[in-house]
Amino acid sequence: MAPARTPLSLYVHWPYCSFLCRFCAFSKARVPAGGVDHALITRALLAELRTSLAPHSRDKELRSIYFGGGTPSLAQPAHVAQIIEQASRLVPLAASAEITLESNPTSAETDKMAAFKAAGITRYSIGIQTLDDGVLQRVGRLHSGAEALAAANRAASLFPGHVSLDMMFGFESQTVDQWQRELETVLAHANGHLSLYQLTVEPGTPLFRDIRAQRVKRNPDDTLALMYETAVALCRSRGLAHYEVSNYAASPESQSVHNIGYWQGRQWIGIGPSAHSRFIDPASGTCLRTVRIPDIQRWVRSCLEHGHGTAKSETVDDAEARQEAVVFGLRMLDGLSNARFMRTGCVSSGALSLAEYLRVNQVQRYLRDGYLRSSGRLDHLAPTERGLQVIDSILLDILP
Amino acid sequence: MEWKGSGNNDLEAAVSMGIEKFILSPFVNFVPQPFASYIVQAHGFASTIAKTVMDTLCMNNYTGGFIDTNYMVPLPASKDTVFMYPSPQIAKGMLKACRLFQKQKGLQKRRKRPGRKTPASRMRRAWKHPLVGCALPCSQRYKTRQSMATACGYLRKASMKSGGYATKADGLGAEIDITGYTPDRIRNFSIIAHIDHGKSTLADRLLETTGVITKSGKNKQVLDKLKVERERGITVKAQSASMFCEHDGRKYLVNLIDTPGHVDFSYEVSRSLAACQGTILLVDAAQGIQAQTVANFYLAFGEGLAVIPMLNKVDLPTAEPDRAALQIESAFEIDAANIVHLSAKTGLGIDRVLPSVIERIPAPSGSIDAPFKALLFDTWYDKYVGVVCLMAIKDGAVRRGDRVVSMHSGTRYEVMEVGIMHPEQRPATQLQVGQVGYVVCNMKSVAEAHVGDTFHKDKFPVVPLPGFAPAKSMVFAGVFPLDAGEFDKLNESIQKLTLNDSSVAVHKETSAALGQGWRLGFLGTLHMDVFRQRLEEEYDASVLVTAPTVPYRVQYKDGTSKYIQTPADFPTAIEIQDKVDAVMEPFVLATLIFPEQYLGAMLELCTMHRGDIHTHTYLDESRVMLKCRMPTAEMVTDFYDQLKSRSQGFASFDYEDNGYNESDLVKMEVLLNGEAVDALAAVMHRDNVATVGRTMAKRLKDVIRRQLFDIIIQTAANGKVVARETVKQLRKNVTAKCYGGDISRKMKLLNKQKEGKKRMKKIGRVELPQEAFLSVMTGSKE
Repeated sequence: MAPARTPLSLYVHWPYCSFLCRFCAFSKARVPAGGVDHALITRALLAELRTSLAPHSRDKELRSIYFGGGTPSLAQPAHVAQIIEQASRLVPLAASAEITLESNPTSAETDKMAAFKAAGITRYSIGIQTLDDGVLQRVGRLHSGAEALAAANRAASLFPGHVSLDMMFGFESQTVDQWQRELETVLAHANGHLSLYQLTVEPGTPLFRDIRAQRVKRNPDDTLALMYETAVALCRSRGLAHYEVSNYAASPESQSVHNIGYWQGRQWIGIGPSAHSRFIDPASGTCLRTVRIPDIQRWVRSCLEHGHGTAKSETVDDAEARQEAVVFGLRMLDGLSNARFMRTGCVSSGALSLAEYLRVNQVQRYLRDGYLRSSGRLDHLAPTERGLQVIDSILLDILP
Repeated sequence: MEWKGSGNNDLEAAVSMGIEKFILSPFVNFVPQPFASYIVQAHGFASTIAKTVMDTLCMNNYTGGFIDTNYMVPLPASKDTVFMYPSPQIAKGMLKACRLFQKQKGLQKRRKRPGRKTPASRMRRAWKHPLVGCALPCSQRYKTRQSMATACGYLRKASMKSGGYATKADGLGAEIDITGYTPDRIRNFSIIAHIDHGKSTLADRLLETTGVITKSGKNKQVLDKLKVERERGITVKAQSASMFCEHDGRKYLVNLIDTPGHVDFSYEVSRSLAACQGTILLVDAAQGIQAQTVANFYLAFGEGLAVIPMLNKVDLPTAEPDRAALQIESAFEIDAANIVHLSAKTGLGIDRVLPSVIERIPAPSGSIDAPFKALLFDTWYDKYVGVVCLMAIKDGAVRRGDRVVSMHSGTRYEVMEVGIMHPEQRPATQLQVGQVGYVVCNMKSVAEAHVGDTFHKDKFPVVPLPGFAPAKSMVFAGVFPLDAGEFDKLNESIQKLTLNDSSVAVHKETSAALGQGWRLGFLGTLHMDVFRQRLEEEYDASVLVTAPTVPYRVQYKDGTSKYIQTPADFPTAIEIQDKVDAVMEPFVLATLIFPEQYLGAMLELCTMHRGDIHTHTYLDESRVMLKCRMPTAEMVTDFYDQLKSRSQGFASFDYEDNGYNESDLVKMEVLLNGEAVDALAAVMHRDNVATVGRTMAKRLKDVIRRQLFDIIIQTAANGKVVARETVKQLRKNVTAKCYGGDISRKMKLLNKQKEGKKRMKKIGRVELPQEAFLSVMTGSKE
């Protein structure tokens, strides 16, 4: 029997958007005036895919593929199919592999949904953000709430049990009541999965500048906390379990395999401009973190010339890997098992247990106060609902 | 790799071994070889070594030069490097050494260019290396005037970069002879003025006209050597400089003793005045007499010095010289008819300053035939030679090799070097009666140098001079390392800094909240601020300074009394009732001078700070001088800031010590979640408790960040809570989105936050930012 293959995820970054949201801090660009040169981008993606996946073909299997962006629903389904097909030829796809595509709910993109399914997409994620047409317009999104719900319905019929809807809360002047009503509507259209994000003001975004210039007001922290608590309670009452800070699923099968990979420290390869990767280099055995060139034109040129557009590659040492394992593991209500922690990514020095690594007296205090829970002598560590809500503060205390 | 050594062979051995760091111990018999060349590659230590080499060269009567290409970065020769190539042999030697160095370091040998074998071109090649030092005997001086002038020019440039060291070779290392300057040809004077009236600028101009420094337009407050002095435009440490000038066909040696201008440093002023026979009272013609003008005048007057009033800044459009002259006449009752008008900035009237000094200030008294007697009036620590003493010679003479005795301690010292400040140390063959100069005599610690001490020659005792009372600390503050692990480093830094500032009183202190630290006594709040800034800038130490307090005195019923330097030691309410006879607080007599329209505001300010108005007099029809007695504690908070803001900057202020008075004092404590924080406690008058308690609680609420539990802030006095504020529990703190691409950013942020957390002080579980301690410090009345 062949030895078990190590799971691997693939992230594909499609860099273009038809509109730019004022809060977005991701790497993206507006579709150029003459339209996107789909063939060129695909050629570059395929070249990078080949270079990056080939070294992993012998001992890995693909658990998930994720098309993110940007707005990958602007891509042509045929090209998406080509990428999936090429990837699976390089590294075998696991039987139940999850292949997600992110989309915006404009009617044009909704029309392509069936074609994407035919191309191999198994899970569909729709960025609704809000149903309030006024807010949608103010943040720069060119679709309506009604279009979003129509897209959600269409996705539910094509990808039953495998649809994710993205929502945001904390927009200027939004009240807790408004948020609750909006969420109720969305819950009625949900099919398996919800991602509910607090609006985050990232430096460098137009929203950030608006707030700095006091053109836009920020919601008070306590209001945001209340909105978050409302979301947790409401989802639970509708049978959607909270499993990560901002993610809710109807059943374990509806959870995002790809994203759980990030939180559990699975290796992943990212292709496309500005995409990150984190994997154990088969040649050297060290853990690497790489970033691709962010500028689209330069990235394309580099891919076509050198077969990849890697801008930066650095090793992740054990200390970093362990820190990441805890920081990301504790974002999930399931938490982090000691067994998984001891296997952490790239341990090249001896294995360390959670009890040896963390500041135990601090952990115990949080256990006692009901912020964390554990089984055995830290065989497993997880945040409680209450703890998850302030996990960033807790981490500062428990990490060495 | 590191190599410690003391001499020629060591240095050469180190070089040949490619040692990267060479520590050349001072005070040892390192005798430079004539025509020898030294190359030292010293990462980060280049300038230190350069200075050591230069020192050693100069002390051994050699001239020398060094090339400091600023740590591996070759600089263009014309700008920032200095070189001397007095003879081809030297250049040849240096070049040879450079080649050796190149070979050892495996550096590419540069291709020879035919026809360009001048020493200069060789030297240029040598600049590829970090540091080159060379030595030559004095007999091998520069051949022509031209080359000497060039070399001196370069040295001056280098001097600016090297902190003045290169200038030592300026005089070609020789000791100058000033024995011809008998007391009748010597004048010792100082300049006293209010802050910003142009004292240091006038000093610059005088140094320029007498050729001590070159006229480059870049001389800005040459005597203010500390970075904080230049930044704040104040003089902290008195400096002195000697000048040679001609008047009526005779040559004079004029010594200028610079004095600090700020109120906190009046102690330094009186020290400097003791070394002079006269002083220039410099008054800004636009601003007129200010509080420190008055204070300094009376200091000088008390010393019996000749006072020459002069008006500065007469070129300003707002200048009113006549009015200022009138004020001088009415305030000091001195004749201001022939007052000198000048503008130190433009140079107007500068030529009249030194003649006035020579004509109107008496020559120092004393006799060359009497046994040597000198007043030690200032010291500083030099890391190469130890303590440098500034002395005013009252009788006799002193030269290298003499054995002198301190009357204070009885210790004998051998004089290693004497000289004048010109403006850097310049060795002289001898210092004699009436002169003011420095003496290096193998003193290892500033504690040995007792300012005000009288020195005499061994076996020739003299009647001691009156001396000065030691500096008295007006305010005390706790200083703690931010990170307890940095205690040792901070300890060392404080020791080094107090070497040069003996007016800081140092005691160890342990705080329950802040751990081990010090309680330091300062002359005033500015002094405290300057000390903290120097600690942070010059020694790269991060410190936490607690709120300043004044020394309270507690008289017990059993007749004993105790000075309280920290609120933690203040007796509790019960103790006060049972054991204490009286609690006393120190007072000052403050002098305020301001335009008449602010009289109301100033009276109110004084009353608000528990001041007791003594007198107010009109200096002229529009300027008022107010004398007011007030508790020192009121002055150390925000009095000065309030004074400036309420008078729109027009009021000036000075103070003097004025004894103790009984006072109704209580200790106010700050409790965080019920736990008293000793470092936040403060002693204050009972009347202030309610207002201060409320503001303090509010301020703390603003600076303490929300944590995972409610934080209750209470201020309490005598067991009764004065005010209460709550910092609500943090409800949510979690990053919303965290996927693949966010990981690096998230981890960076986390590590930054962890760093920030380290800088917090923990009181129980409550994290206190540094601002919390500052918030108690800055002002207590809104």
